[in-house]
Amino acid sequence: MAIVTGSRRTRKLQAAAVYAALVALTIAFLFPLLWVLGLSLKTRPQIFADPPLYLWWPTLEHYADVLSRADFLKAFLNTLIVSASAVLLSLGVGVPAAYAFARFPFRGASLLFFGLLVMRMLPPIAVLVPMYVLFTKLGLATTRFSVVLAYSTFALPLVVWIMRGFFEDLPKELEESAWIDGATRYGAFLRVVLPLTRPGMVAASILCLQLAWNDFLFAAVLTNNATQTLPVLMAGFSGGDSGVDWGAMTASGMLVILPVVIFSFAAQRHLVAGLATGSVKG
Amino acid sequence: MSQSSNAVPSPLVLPARTAAPPRHGPGRLLERWFAAVTIAPTFVVMVLVFGLPLLFSLYLSFTGWSLNQNLLGGEWVGLANYQDLFDDPVFIGSLGITFGFTAAAVAAQLGLGLAIALLLNVDLPHMRAFRTALVVPMMITPIVGALCWKLLLDPSHGVFNHWIGERIVWLGMPGTALAAVWLVNVWHSTPYVALILLAGLRSLPSEPREAAAIDGASRFQMFRHVTLPLLRPYILVALLLRTIFEFRAFDNIYAMTGGGPANSTMVLSMFTYLTSFVRFDFSLGAAASWLMLLMSMLMCLAFIAVIRRRDAT
Repeated sequence: MAIVTGSRRTRKLQAAAVYAALVALTIAFLFPLLWVLGLSLKTRPQIFADPPLYLWWPTLEHYADVLSRADFLKAFLNTLIVSASAVLLSLGVGVPAAYAFARFPFRGASLLFFGLLVMRMLPPIAVLVPMYVLFTKLGLATTRFSVVLAYSTFALPLVVWIMRGFFEDLPKELEESAWIDGATRYGAFLRVVLPLTRPGMVAASILCLQLAWNDFLFAAVLTNNATQTLPVLMAGFSGGDSGVDWGAMTASGMLVILPVVIFSFAAQRHLVAGLATGSVKG
Repeated sequence: MSQSSNAVPSPLVLPARTAAPPRHGPGRLLERWFAAVTIAPTFVVMVLVFGLPLLFSLYLSFTGWSLNQNLLGGEWVGLANYQDLFDDPVFIGSLGITFGFTAAAVAAQLGLGLAIALLLNVDLPHMRAFRTALVVPMMITPIVGALCWKLLLDPSHGVFNHWIGERIVWLGMPGTALAAVWLVNVWHSTPYVALILLAGLRSLPSEPREAAAIDGASRFQMFRHVTLPLLRPYILVALLLRTIFEFRAFDNIYAMTGGGPANSTMVLSMFTYLTSFVRFDFSLGAAASWLMLLMSMLMCLAFIAVIRRRDAT
């Protein structure tokens, strides 16, 4: 990619400089996480050792403690349920719409489509204030269902945007030949087109799952102790300064981010496209 | 959009030419309305979770409403809530903090993100590994990332204070608290900018750069006069997206400072949150959120204009 200039010696020096800069940046970007990962593997006296310990025999005691806490497990389950439901709802609702957007331009389609984009871009707090009031009056507040509905404000636009791109990339002849064979538009969509866009659905699901898993604001307002999600539970740790159990806090934190890091590596190829809401095709 | 509508026959206009729909019965009608049927659920969800709440919040912002009243039972107060906001020094302060914070965070993310993208674009082995490692901060739960930083910055047990040998209360002083929150946002979102710009660099044509190299352009001249102009659309997209998302920054600030000390990190999202869900003044919160909506709507329109212009070319 880069145009090669200079002698072999200068090229080697340049390569060394690039590597040095990247190593320094990687250390700087990963240090906070690695340090906290280290803290989570220390015993309580080791955590507060002065000067800090750089080498020690790791312990899993905080992980064992956290994984035996009822509130952590409950929050883990809640997060899984609301995230997965939000993804399923948005796929079920959004994928057919994405197909129509890609294939059957209708009057008002672009207006509706940009409405979806705006839905993704506007500050969540602005939707949350009236949503909380409406959900409270409808008796939905503090239910997991209310959180799932709230998550569709970002998950639905993401699904439609990503899937439209995938549908557009498929050749039109696919469903045209199915139509000629007598399939209805619904049949062609369900049996011919949809199976081919499975990779797109996987990518969209993972990105939505990640956003839903990481969400704090909606869940903080729309849940109570019984329905709270992991980020809400985590925020509870930030309350008092002295009384915080560093071991439990760091171990929970690492357990919370573990699944999203795994999801994200699985969908790395699609990260740019998804997070830029399709504005850059990746 | 207009080009493709010429190319693809609309099912509403020319149903019979490309398709072989059922000849009679209700299937025929369903077939004609395929687009409407498939769009309808999305439209319903949009109205339910987005359209109606926003309209209701507009209504709330013109009333004095409290949670024990009927939904539409608030007393009409006209622009009084908006007046109250502009008379509130904390709100006026939060406008300045939000704009300053957004500008500073986006500027740092773009600068650092561009540097990282250029480094990752150099053709050397193991670049994928560096890319994978560098994007980790943007994937992780923002609340957890902020808590990690809070531990590093802890006055008595934080590793940063250990290293410098002092007991600085980073999050307890207005200047350092704002700087810390800024740093965490830069840390969290720079990888995102780097990925967008890296995708941009990868898609650039190589001919202009080759031509410049033949003409004897120096490395810096090449970057300044060839690469940077070609990359402009991507920089613009990253700039607008980050501005839109930093404008609504909340999680890090909530976890690290809660808007304090002395309102020094009180961004608009935090102000609206505290007004609505701590002071339970939903009418004032609705007014504040509508002002936020109008401001971010302007940014969205700019964003849409940019991507439309790019898609058109």
